[in-house]
Amino acid sequence: MTVATHKTTLDVINLNIALPNGVRILRDVSLSLEPGEVRALVGESGAGKSMIGKSVLGILPPSLRVTEGEIILEGQHLNAMSPSTRRTTVAKTAALIPQDPLTALNPVRKIGPQIVDPLIRIHGWSADKARARALDLLDRVHIRAPERVMNSYPHELSGGMRQRILIAAAFAPSPRLIVADEPTTALDVTVQKQILRLIRELQQETGTAVLFVTHDMGVVAKISQKVTVLFAGKVMEDATTKAVFTDPQHPYTRALIAATPSYADLERPFSPVPASLISDLHQQIAQDDALYKGARR
Amino acid sequence: MLLKTVLIRLLTTAVTLFGVAVVVFTLVRVAPGNPIAMMLPPGATEADIENLKALYGFDKSLPQQFIIWLGGVVQGDFGTSITLRQPVDQLVLGRLPATLELSLMALLIAVALGGLTAVIGARKRGTGTEIGVDLVSGAVLSIPDFLWGLVFVLIFGVLWPVLSISGRVDPRIAIDFTTNFYLFEGLVRGRFDVVGSTLGHMLMPAMSLALPLAAMIAQLLKQNLKEVLVQDYTTLARVRGFGETAVILREALRNAALPTLTLVGVQFTFLIGGTVIVERLFAYEGLGNMAIDAVINRDLPLIQGIVLLFAALFIVINLIVDLSYTLLNPRLRHG
Repeated sequence: MTVATHKTTLDVINLNIALPNGVRILRDVSLSLEPGEVRALVGESGAGKSMIGKSVLGILPPSLRVTEGEIILEGQHLNAMSPSTRRTTVAKTAALIPQDPLTALNPVRKIGPQIVDPLIRIHGWSADKARARALDLLDRVHIRAPERVMNSYPHELSGGMRQRILIAAAFAPSPRLIVADEPTTALDVTVQKQILRLIRELQQETGTAVLFVTHDMGVVAKISQKVTVLFAGKVMEDATTKAVFTDPQHPYTRALIAATPSYADLERPFSPVPASLISDLHQQIAQDDALYKGARR
Repeated sequence: MLLKTVLIRLLTTAVTLFGVAVVVFTLVRVAPGNPIAMMLPPGATEADIENLKALYGFDKSLPQQFIIWLGGVVQGDFGTSITLRQPVDQLVLGRLPATLELSLMALLIAVALGGLTAVIGARKRGTGTEIGVDLVSGAVLSIPDFLWGLVFVLIFGVLWPVLSISGRVDPRIAIDFTTNFYLFEGLVRGRFDVVGSTLGHMLMPAMSLALPLAAMIAQLLKQNLKEVLVQDYTTLARVRGFGETAVILREALRNAALPTLTLVGVQFTFLIGGTVIVERLFAYEGLGNMAIDAVINRDLPLIQGIVLLFAALFIVINLIVDLSYTLLNPRLRHG
């Protein structure tokens, strides 16, 4: 594949995202991804974990603004670019595996063109090369009769198949970075495992770095080497997956791990994240915000 | 499966047309005013009236009249126009091409204008341009077609007289066409003098009919586009490097067009209804103009023929809309 460079694949430095009324969704988030690395972004709903991926890819909801911070993708400063340059730069280096395979494919277009079009029109490949690549990748995500699938409409395929197609489409242009935004949440448990294995296989083969957004600590353990734990848009802990599970530093991380049901030990009582811890964290964040506003005034 | 669908369709079509025939036949006879009185000079004798009634069959009972007329219709005989003294089917079919060309031109303008406006509005959503699109389409929509006709007459007929304000084609042009589709046949035969003159006469009535529909299309399609443009597959297309215009045209338009198509189908029949007044306004020699004369003169056979033809036309349009719906939406193609 591409000659390995010593460039960091993704650097996010002090990223702040805010609503129009100034309320911050992300608070000074920093993280980095080395080539070939899988970093999990964990946190509960609303922690802002998806927003990190969205701001890297430039698909934040229109009401949200990056108020501060740098996003550096393969050595290129995305913030400094014009919207159209940024769009093509991102398209050529990064890809997205979306959350819900049922809504991420255009219902009125056949599968084939949906995979092949960007390869031809954005990456400038020949139609033959793009088609061959699509067929090869469909085969690698274990789709039988890829020719027939290319000629099908999304409604003719199951959810698991559609997610595998979206994975194939994401890997097709050989991106350096893939953002996987809770790619297994919308699928049933038996399919979840397959999909996880598939993403890991392809990721290892291609050496693509993956930013894996999830709320499931079980998934984190299976797929990632590094973990960023988020709470209310703030990084609580940033460590290797091994360290997070064997020796979690932050009380919130410990609570998250404790709250994950274990299939090995069904007798263990279910323990949600304690409310006192959550209110403590909110207090700290409120103080931080006051300081942040003071510093900017 | 397909055969069954077609059979059901034909059956419902026959039932609908029969219903229309019953209603129109009864209504024109129950309504006040009768053709005999209008045909005879003042001071005609009772015997003259009876003779004329017998000649047109008005002396028989309503059901008897209906059966005689329906028997003829089934054999392709729609009766004879009382005022024009010609077979109704010849008269009506002779005028149909004019109205069809006018309506299709209006539809074409409406779809092009409305579609373009919707795409621009969706592309510039959330900006002043979108508000402008809303305001203009709202204003255009609230003015009826015949008023637009008067506006155009004032602009392109009086202030800047570039278009013809009456008729269908310049009478000085010799036309020896096999059909009355002057525009289509002119194009096919390469008779661009006929095409130019037909367009010059058709453009104003067509624009008058098209504008309200264009505004409706612009509003609905823009709304549908905006809804589609937050769908995950459009987001994914942006990640893959497609610009906003490409996303609208390649990913969103076909999905957004589905609900709009239903509206266009329904509204197109209204548009054809609108030709009655607009054709009158521009003295355009089409079915609508003929319909008004037929009603004024109580020309019962002609009214019946025109209404039946309009009904058949509406059914055909609905069929075309249903078919194109299946064409646009792959989910409807199976099962």
